[in-house]
Amino acid sequence: MNTELRIEKVSKSFPGVKALNEVNLTMKGGSVHALLGENGAGKSTLIKIITGVYRADSGVLKTNGEEKFFNSPVEATDAGIAVVHQERNLIPEFSVEENITLHHPPTKFGIVDRAERTRLARQALETLGFDIDLNERVKNLSVAQMQLVEIAKALVTNAQIILLDEPTASITSGETIKLFDVIKRLKESGTAVLFVSHKLEEVYEICDTVTVLRDGESILESKPLSEYKQGEIVDAMVGRHLADRKVELRKVNRSVEPVMQLTDIHTALGHEKISMSLYPGEVLGMYGLVGAGRSELARSVLGLHGISSGELKLNGQVVEIKSLRDALHKHRIGYVTENRKEEGLFLDFPVRKNISVTILSKILKKLGVISFQEEDSVSTKYVDRLGIKVVDNNQLAGTLSGGNQQKVSVSKWLAADTKILIIDEPTVGVDVRTKASFHELIVELANEGLSIILISSDLAEMISLADRILVMRDYQLVGDLDNSKDYTTMSRGIMTAIHSA
Amino acid sequence: MSPLTRIRRIVGDQRVVLTLLTVGLFLYFGMKNSAFFSTDFVIYPLLRDGAVLTVIGLAQLCALSIGHLNLAVGRMAAVAALAAGASYQYWHLALIPGLLIGLVTGALLGAITGWMIVKSQVNAFIVTLAMDFALLGFVTFIYVTFTGATAAFTTKPAGMEYWRNTSLHQYCIAGHCGPRVFPMMLVPAIIALILVGFMYAKTRMGRELLATGSNLRAAKLSGIPVDRRVIMAHTLSGLLAALAGVMLAFTNGSFTASIGSQFMLPSFLGPVLGGTLLVGGAVQVLGTFIGTMLTLVIRQGLSVQGIGLETLNIALGLVLLTALSLGQIQKMFTSIRMRGRT
Amino acid sequence: MNFKALFRHRATELSLTAIFVLGFLLLVATSHGVLLSRESLQGFLTYLAVPIVIGMAQMVVLAIGQMNLAVGAMGGVSAAIMAVLMADHHYPIWLALLIGFLSATAMGAINGFLVVVTQLNGFIITLGTMTILLGFQYRLVRTFTIDAYPKSLPDFGAKNILGFPLILVIAIATSVILSLFFSRTSTGRRVLATGGNALAARLSGISNGKSVFIAHTLSGALVGIAAIITISSLPGINRSIGGDWMLASFAAPIIGGVLMAGGTVAIYGTVVAAGVVRLVDIARAQYSLDPSIVSLTVGVVVLSTVALSELRRRRSERAREGRKVAA
Repeated sequence: MNTELRIEKVSKSFPGVKALNEVNLTMKGGSVHALLGENGAGKSTLIKIITGVYRADSGVLKTNGEEKFFNSPVEATDAGIAVVHQERNLIPEFSVEENITLHHPPTKFGIVDRAERTRLARQALETLGFDIDLNERVKNLSVAQMQLVEIAKALVTNAQIILLDEPTASITSGETIKLFDVIKRLKESGTAVLFVSHKLEEVYEICDTVTVLRDGESILESKPLSEYKQGEIVDAMVGRHLADRKVELRKVNRSVEPVMQLTDIHTALGHEKISMSLYPGEVLGMYGLVGAGRSELARSVLGLHGISSGELKLNGQVVEIKSLRDALHKHRIGYVTENRKEEGLFLDFPVRKNISVTILSKILKKLGVISFQEEDSVSTKYVDRLGIKVVDNNQLAGTLSGGNQQKVSVSKWLAADTKILIIDEPTVGVDVRTKASFHELIVELANEGLSIILISSDLAEMISLADRILVMRDYQLVGDLDNSKDYTTMSRGIMTAIHSA
Repeated sequence: MSPLTRIRRIVGDQRVVLTLLTVGLFLYFGMKNSAFFSTDFVIYPLLRDGAVLTVIGLAQLCALSIGHLNLAVGRMAAVAALAAGASYQYWHLALIPGLLIGLVTGALLGAITGWMIVKSQVNAFIVTLAMDFALLGFVTFIYVTFTGATAAFTTKPAGMEYWRNTSLHQYCIAGHCGPRVFPMMLVPAIIALILVGFMYAKTRMGRELLATGSNLRAAKLSGIPVDRRVIMAHTLSGLLAALAGVMLAFTNGSFTASIGSQFMLPSFLGPVLGGTLLVGGAVQVLGTFIGTMLTLVIRQGLSVQGIGLETLNIALGLVLLTALSLGQIQKMFTSIRMRGRT
Repeated sequence: MNFKALFRHRATELSLTAIFVLGFLLLVATSHGVLLSRESLQGFLTYLAVPIVIGMAQMVVLAIGQMNLAVGAMGGVSAAIMAVLMADHHYPIWLALLIGFLSATAMGAINGFLVVVTQLNGFIITLGTMTILLGFQYRLVRTFTIDAYPKSLPDFGAKNILGFPLILVIAIATSVILSLFFSRTSTGRRVLATGGNALAARLSGISNGKSVFIAHTLSGALVGIAAIITISSLPGINRSIGGDWMLASFAAPIIGGVLMAGGTVAIYGTVVAAGVVRLVDIARAQYSLDPSIVSLTVGVVVLSTVALSELRRRRSERAREGRKVAA
């Protein structure tokens, strides 16, 4: 029988954002299906719906003709679906072989059958051609090795449908070649494989059909990949909605002293020879794939991890930033984090308190008492200015939509009167309209003289906003491009920089 | 706001419910046995105990505000009482200087605990648990070594009796005297309530402590010195535990190793019943007082009924578990409501 | 496995064993061999049984990243039930012990049930059940000491097998079974998987709620065994039984190398650590120091153990952080 997984008109909403809107996808046994889209386009959500981690709001899932959504990951596994999730899903204290067989540990009368376990795990690793000590505890492995264990874990279930969510993100090219051999063998044996990757050349090497998601909608639905050129796929991924907008080239005066200048910076995390300059009122883009080391660079410069060598100048003066507090209060640098729920907001605090958290020292009356009047007026000011949709500024931050939450987390830095703002992946998980208004805000702030470093994996966003684009790969800068804001030439230039280095 | 939602909001406020429950239970016990309304034998001691336990509840609340807990509150109270007692016994200090020595001792212990948590990055539970055992050994050792068989410092500084036995009744303005049921011991408790409440509601320090408790990483990224705030929370916890310990020693009339040994459960009961979150980020200072009084009314009420200590424990444990489950149910409802709205 | 690897994986166990052996020899030497006399040795080993088993009872809950404050109260109530059934209701010994054991197991199950249903931390739930159980314990034994049970029970407790106290053998056997449970059975592995990474466990089809429930129930069952050991080795049961179990229950597993974060068990480590704590106790008696010294020492040791293991963890994490250069 021919394996088939069919998704029809699947929709899913989270509080404040529509993650998937009537998405269709069909994948068949004996072929490899690429699922493409930018960060936040809905790929991972879709995979989680297929595997029963999330429940779809509406739509149909058909596995081999049987119409049924899975209620739990177990049901999906039992139905012959295996998945390598993007997040690490291993038990750190367990051995490699036990992790590989975690779904169905071989047992006899409730006792673990160790010989069988070893056999299964060894077989899986041998099939893959990976060499890892079966008895080593997973917590002692490198990230690449963990990724290989994840892949082996999915393969050992003998699934008919295999979903691979960015399996190559952290493994070497040699290991990738081995993985592709395995995928080809699976394909020959009639397995249906879903392959998610940001690396287009990999997709062209291994995939037969393609579905592209953009802002939660399926733009290309299960088309033969050979009919599309790389450029067309990229267009489908990023869309023209941004390109259609009036994009103007901004004038940045680079003859003055840069507000921030890095020279030959090395960090403990592994950055090498990073040199860059940020000029007043500039939007400096930093593009790279996930894991290229962009956020890590920002955090190192801000004093969270520290710099091991090199020179950091602010307004022409060599400085050392010891902590984020230093960065904020002494040097007026703000950092809008990419994990707004985990690091950006106090979800159970009202908007008012979220905005005032960076300026408590400035709104004090005597004896360390906070002036509620000032707090109220400052927060109201930013709520109005950024158009944050709230009932009043006492509404809890946790009840806002993603876009509004992001605006709150920007507000607290604006309130602190920062001169440099590092914005990390600002529009992941927000809807199109909020995204657009956010983009306008960034340009507006830069026009007012704020110097902005924009970290983003969203190519269209990068090209429409940045004045100059730095390209980072493997903790090194591999490109520095003046942004002409012409989508076609820029995207080509950036891709070349990433892949030729 | 419609009248209905206003009513709903008032009724939904945990503190209102708790106060009604406390008063209701108080009246119920009084009607079943009029001895319960006795000023001298029931209400005065009840309020006096309430004062001590409110302060220990506040000590726990400070740790809870940053999402930690302090299992050593009782033993910190014991060490502080020990220090105060020793200063009266050996250096013949007056009441206030001795009290200050006790408070400083408690604050120091708290600071050391906080420092250890920050430096070792070990869970606050285990640090304070180990602290508790270390201090337990220390306190017993000191009492036994210095006072032999009595195992107590018995020197009473001048003024101790006053705090122990008198009420506001002796203060009269224009012929109107204060109520006899109001123990002087409530005065320090009320001061502590006001100061702690003021700190969390209005000051930068309080806000930063709550921010640390609400989301440590976000607090750090917002430039709050989270390590220092953690130490501060534990210092305050130690300071308040010390105050409670010395207050209890005054109530008992002597300084012994057993001071604080019954503090752990009440220190959680007050804040938790009062609506303070265990995860940090929100505190209910007044609620701590009301929650403490509720547990005391239950305790005293049952004991006036002639019901023994064992049933009291059972009742208090059930109250705690019920309150926790109700809180959880309420939270589930809110999250369902929130989901429905968006 | 070569010697180096053995040392790396088993550093805690090996150093604990060394400390235990050295400490024991030191005590033997300074006591001029008195410790080796039949009675002292017997006493040392007999009173080692309870710390081992309650250490296990705490360990199984630590394995899922939670804690059980009620071990002492559960043990107290369970021992009191056994004593009351035998003394006041004249139940046969085996039936009384069985009922006591089952009731301890049921208490653990209730803890587990409440934790799963309320989704609250085990700490606060067991604080609540501890209070309730203390009430029951007091209600059962009041201020009396119950010892009017058949003579054959203390006889049973004093029995020896191959020169070892029977109750110690029971404790060791329990640890061996527990060790097999966690290393070999699929249920045991599932509990550990929940403790190690709850999300990954869920995605692999493991019910975390079930794991939590099992861990707490198992903790209760182990407390039941500790109660059986207690009632058969002590002259009588009163309301102070279990009162000093809490520190001991945390000390043994934590010193023995169990992580507070969950996901691990260290049975041999826990047993040896219980032995080391017992040595401190013996040393105290030998040098006629105040009993308070014991809790002081153990408190300090627990703290430094945890701090050290945390330091080690952070160092190894830092070494792996940052750029993952392919090996």
